[in-house]
Amino acid sequence: MSRIDVISSFARYEMRRAIARRKVLILVGFTILLCTLPYYGLSRIAYRIPAPDYPYIWVTVISFVGPLFLNFTAVLIAAGAMSEEYEQGTAELLLSKPVNRSDYFIGKFLGGYLLFLAILGLDVFLSVASAYATFGVQLSLGLLPGFILAQSFASLLFYSLAFMLGELMRRSSLAYIFSSALFFSSFITNIYLELIYTLTGNGFYRTVQMYLPTSPADSLAQQYILSRLPSTILFVLRLVGAGETVASSANFNIALILVYTSIGLLIAAVYFTYSDISRKVS
Amino acid sequence: MGNDLSSSPSPLASAVISFQDAVKNYGRAKTIGPVNLDVKKGEVLGFLGPNGSGKTTCIRMMLGLIRPSTGKVLVNGLNPISNHVNSLRNVAYSPELPNIQTFLTPSELLSLVLHELHFSGSDRQAEVRRVLELVGLTNYADTKVGKLSKGMVQRLSVAQALIGSPEVLVLDEPMIGLDPAGSSHFRELFRQFSKEHNGTVFMSSHIMGEVESLCTSVALIHNGRIVFRGTINEVIRNTLEFTAIVVESSPLSEVALSKIRALDGVSEVQIGQAKNGNTLTETEIIVRSEQSSELRSIISQLIVNSGAKLYTIKQAENLLERAYIEALKGNDGKKREDNLQ
Repeated sequence: MSRIDVISSFARYEMRRAIARRKVLILVGFTILLCTLPYYGLSRIAYRIPAPDYPYIWVTVISFVGPLFLNFTAVLIAAGAMSEEYEQGTAELLLSKPVNRSDYFIGKFLGGYLLFLAILGLDVFLSVASAYATFGVQLSLGLLPGFILAQSFASLLFYSLAFMLGELMRRSSLAYIFSSALFFSSFITNIYLELIYTLTGNGFYRTVQMYLPTSPADSLAQQYILSRLPSTILFVLRLVGAGETVASSANFNIALILVYTSIGLLIAAVYFTYSDISRKVS
Repeated sequence: MGNDLSSSPSPLASAVISFQDAVKNYGRAKTIGPVNLDVKKGEVLGFLGPNGSGKTTCIRMMLGLIRPSTGKVLVNGLNPISNHVNSLRNVAYSPELPNIQTFLTPSELLSLVLHELHFSGSDRQAEVRRVLELVGLTNYADTKVGKLSKGMVQRLSVAQALIGSPEVLVLDEPMIGLDPAGSSHFRELFRQFSKEHNGTVFMSSHIMGEVESLCTSVALIHNGRIVFRGTINEVIRNTLEFTAIVVESSPLSEVALSKIRALDGVSEVQIGQAKNGNTLTETEIIVRSEQSSELRSIISQLIVNSGAKLYTIKQAENLLERAYIEALKGNDGKKREDNLQ
């Protein structure tokens, strides 16, 4: 038995634990609705959509609503990963065994993240299937692996920050509140800064906007996919807001995601390593 | 007294668990320690103390779940914080009414624990079955924990501690929630663990009878400090300064009672209520002597010679409880005196 086996057993445990909580089932329900209903709605106004855009309609939900929803999904999964264990008093039993704390930490992180990837996979599958069902054959599906990779990497940002807040708070309600507040305040600030920049033209606001966690997390996957689509599908491009996103490069976004993720993980790991394992707190 | 286990371990045996001036500071409100306590290999130690005295803090320091503010705790000679895996390799913990994820089944929990213990190979299923059988949960192997009764969850807590053949058992109120048959079964299980595997048991409990019948020694913690450490006989002798022998017999004659009173070491004879229509009397004989076991045979001989029917003669069973209460009172009194000075 290697440490990898121990880590993978913790990861499996975390996936089952998160699934056993109803919130994951609710998230799956939302995913199903979010990835099917918009296509049905678009099909009702299909006469207003230019026919050449039909084969690319799958892009709409995936690259526009998807990142926002997926990042929030990451927040909801990660915020409870550590905090719920303290709250329920179950961490104590697992950590009283001769096991490295780091194995537990990595296993929990990976378990929740794998669950997130499963929801991301479901999101992509349902979107493409719904697009196919409502608008016929879809093209450029070869972009999907790259999109999935970009989105999984981008979502690490909020996943790590929420994971960190769960470890620091050790109460799931507080962890959810603080992580959601972080997510939405960044999202709303982003919109305001965009507006102020448009009105004033002051580059300072755009610079601040570029460094907000929402910018790279929401735009990386979109950047990847939109830059590879034909420029003639104007309806789809307009619908997903192409050209309205923060004007930072993909490399800058990748670097920023790495920085935020590392900070979140580092703080969580240090706190977890050096602090006492609290007893049941609720 | 029912100390069936082997006597105190050899003083040469090394300490498996060692608290060295360990202090846990919870801020201005509360401090536990300094605690100094050694537990030797093969010892079965009852860890006693009132609620909030620091028992659980000590156990959690021992398991590396919390770090001492000052001083140190060593398990198998190693620091359980900095060397968690090696120090706790042969140590298992059964918490009081543990919090276990309700979606797991006993089999799944035990498999997870075996993964944590790096228990390899195809023997895993066999080990799970063995332990489930040992604690009487075979029929509930695949029932979700959320559907188990309190007693069954407690059995599962002990099962996850016994799995993987540990050498040191740390038990926090192991008999809580168990029916009498379950308690008796577990007592026997822990005895076997100690006798057959020379295992060390560190047991926190409020049930004095359990401690008295199972443990070779006790440590009494009060207000965060160890106020007594020794064998059960020592704690009784030092705290109560007497032991008691209980005799169940037909009513004893005045002559027999006078002879008993006159025995060297006997300080008091208390005659209890007659039972069974005056055919049986319970007499408690207070003994202030080191030789209470020798006195027992002398007293039985004396009763039989007096013509009375002797049904049972044994050392009083609740002495540890009396000693415990006295020790706590004494410690509080000492503290009050210290404060006055």
